[in-house]
Amino acid sequence: MKKTFIKIMAVSVLILGGSQATSCKKKTEPTVETPVATTEPEIIDTVAAAPVEIASDDQLVSDVKDAVKDFPGVTAAVNNGEITLTGDISRERLPKLMQGLHALHPKKINNNLTITK
Amino acid sequence: MALQEKYNELIHLAQREGVQDLQVREQDNVLYIDGRTESGMLKDKLWDLYNQIDPDFRAGDLVLNIDASGAAGTLAKVTTKSSNLNIRKGPGTDQEIVGKAAHDEIVTVVSRPNDQWSLVRTESGVEGYAYSLYLTQQ
Repeated sequence: MKKTFIKIMAVSVLILGGSQATSCKKKTEPTVETPVATTEPEIIDTVAAAPVEIASDDQLVSDVKDAVKDFPGVTAAVNNGEITLTGDISRERLPKLMQGLHALHPKKINNNLTITK
Repeated sequence: MALQEKYNELIHLAQREGVQDLQVREQDNVLYIDGRTESGMLKDKLWDLYNQIDPDFRAGDLVLNIDASGAAGTLAKVTTKSSNLNIRKGPGTDQEIVGKAAHDEIVTVVSRPNDQWSLVRTESGVEGYAYSLYLTQQ
């Protein structure tokens, strides 16, 4: 009986030692690092995007009249926030007309103008 | 996102050159770029680039609103093509003309009642409203 007990103890010490050795071994194994989230897309626009303000048609009609006043030959119609341009203009004067209209907060500008030169 | 790619070069120029309060937004297949600058030259550069990407501004997929006309309390140059700039009693072309500022004249921007009109004082002391498109901050 005593012999058997000693035998069991010895075996358990062996097992314990063995398991300890194993766990030690495990600890020295190189840890696999989880990749830091570098694959996330780069955030370009940090400003919270508020919806684009579109001027009312009444406001646009009044402002468009001022903006095209110095461009004889150009007709501008306003409908549902869109400005549609018809008529004639020289290529040289087109950017100035466009700069004026783009500042009026339209939804979009449809340029159907004929470029005369 | 496709429109931001199309106008990528323009957006980057605005970012690089420090356009203030720059906002780039896409809504219902139109790209809206808003901001302001003290440099009339930069505004022209941005418009030149826009004209290169979309010749004669035909696509109707961008609204480019860069204000270079001058904040209240600054000086602005009259940048008409060659003509005088009307100074009016109120902000609107239906308002009475109270004076004129010459091409290239420097005026003082007193206030900005709205996006389109500036209250200015000319060199000769006339005070009234001028169309902001023809003013470039100095």
